[in-house]
Amino acid sequence: MSDLVNTSVSTTVSDATNDTTIHDLGYQRYEGARDGVRGAWRALFGQGFRAMFGLGRPLKSKAVPAFVLAATMLPSLATLAASSATQGQLPIMYGGLIQSQLILFVLFAAAQAPELLSHDQQHRLLPLILTRDVTRDVYASARLAAVLCALLAVCAAPLLLLYIGEIGIAADPASAFAKMGTKAGPVLMQATLTAWVIGAIGAAMASMTARRAYATASVIGVFLVAAAVSIGLDDLAGVSADVSRFVDPLRSLHTMSLILFGEKTRAMELTAPPPLWMFAALAFSLGAVGVLATFWRVRRVRV
Amino acid sequence: MPPPSEPEDVPIALIITHELTRRFGDVTALDGLTVSIEPGITGLVGSNGAGKSTLVKILLGLLEPSSGSANVMGHDVERASRAIRSLVGYMPEHDCLPPDMTAAEFVSFMARCSGLPATAARERAAEVLRHVGLFEERYRPMRGYSTGMAQRVKLAQALVHDPRILVLDEPTNGLDPAGRDEMLALIQRTGREFGISVLVSSHLLGELERVCDHVVLIDAGRLVRAARLGALTGETGTLLVEVDGDVEAYCAALVAHGLVVQRDLLRVLVELPNGDDAESVARMFATHDIVRDVAVATGVGLLRMERRRGHLEDLFAGAIS
Repeated sequence: MSDLVNTSVSTTVSDATNDTTIHDLGYQRYEGARDGVRGAWRALFGQGFRAMFGLGRPLKSKAVPAFVLAATMLPSLATLAASSATQGQLPIMYGGLIQSQLILFVLFAAAQAPELLSHDQQHRLLPLILTRDVTRDVYASARLAAVLCALLAVCAAPLLLLYIGEIGIAADPASAFAKMGTKAGPVLMQATLTAWVIGAIGAAMASMTARRAYATASVIGVFLVAAAVSIGLDDLAGVSADVSRFVDPLRSLHTMSLILFGEKTRAMELTAPPPLWMFAALAFSLGAVGVLATFWRVRRVRV
Repeated sequence: MPPPSEPEDVPIALIITHELTRRFGDVTALDGLTVSIEPGITGLVGSNGAGKSTLVKILLGLLEPSSGSANVMGHDVERASRAIRSLVGYMPEHDCLPPDMTAAEFVSFMARCSGLPATAARERAAEVLRHVGLFEERYRPMRGYSTGMAQRVKLAQALVHDPRILVLDEPTNGLDPAGRDEMLALIQRTGREFGISVLVSSHLLGELERVCDHVVLIDAGRLVRAARLGALTGETGTLLVEVDGDVEAYCAALVAHGLVVQRDLLRVLVELPNGDDAESVARMFATHDIVRDVAVATGVGLLRMERRRGHLEDLFAGAIS
């Protein structure tokens, strides 16, 4: 017995010594393929996209993506279930569902975009990446693309679920599809523009600071402040809703969805909202500002 | 581009800077630095703030020079920084390891950032990590790594894309003496056996002495001295003798034989004749004989007799202060 103990102790000791010596196993040249900038872009994009969902990261980083996906998909499922149970008596309101989901998309961007853009600055990985086949613009575009694609997946998922579900629960899916086919465009347009606005602004705010907590707070802060200003304009300054609506990106995204899916609120029945193209143009410009701000910032980060 | 007919035995300068200047506002970090660095292991020495990191960052294309030019293996750092990137591996002085990634993931990610395909990147990462002495630990998040392990990962990521030049910024910072020795041995082997040129910066002259072929000393952004280490610390014309016994009498006897002698506690420094001609060499051998014979005659024990080597510190002492 004591022999056994001795053996195990001596093994541990010799292992410990091995760890501190440098083993001579030779060094080999690398003669294989090099994909240059394109390969580097794909690596930055791929690693970034996975990080947006906390893949390849500890369990903790998966919490927010999992919560947001569940919290946005479940209401869609519930709506479908209710509609199915009442044989379509309860109409499926896309715009109504989106309103409650927008803030969750913001939460997703706020929690996850810093995983890429602040994280690399916080751990001073960025200067190292920039000595590789990566210029600042390549870095910014790959990380932005990762954030935008992840947002697109998250924003499109509940809408696509509704869309596919609505066809699936219909008594006659074929005729339902014929009738519903026209909704595919609005579903994609709404998801794309939502991801574009929230993703680009989220990425821009996240790239501004190396501190994750500040980055997260600033993403949420931007949207909250915009909402507060918009309400303030409504209530205090008495500016017309048409104008104040444009100040709050989330409110305009919601109004856009109502127009896109042909749904109406009481207020919209009283006064018709501005035309769709104005909302689309606004969303496009907001996202573009976010994209440009991200590039601007990454070009100026001191390394 | 260097002309293809360049003879191979002539050392081609690896890195050339000309009147390189970099200012940060009022601070001049590099002040008209002109230096040429040859293949091999080169030490870049200077006190903190001497401009070492600024020079390194300019060579890597991370910073732009305010004026002057720099050239790495025939590529201008401003115009051809992309060509330089695949030739250079950089180990920064600062921490750069994401704590939630494993070493294997991190090094393979850095390989992919140099354009290696995913599979090749994974294989290279495993190989290089083994080379620097990281085995099972490479699958653990780097959060728990010791300084020594972290430094090895940083070296591994600099090597993973098989660069022609390694640029190491203060690689021994924060290491204990044993870790320092291992890191230096690793650097030396990388430079000698694998044909990768190394530019290693440090504020400690002594440790570079052991591994470098060349030393470049800079201070306040200016070049103080650049030279081959062999030439700098070659044998001097002094014979160091250590004896056991009556040193006083021994010295007196040596002087009586016409030698120039200096006493340093128990050690005796005997001046040797300079020159390569036959007469000087003969007199040099004769001096050794006298030292031995006098020791026998005065009855002291001869403990050690060797040519004294110059030390880097001696050479640079004046320059640094």
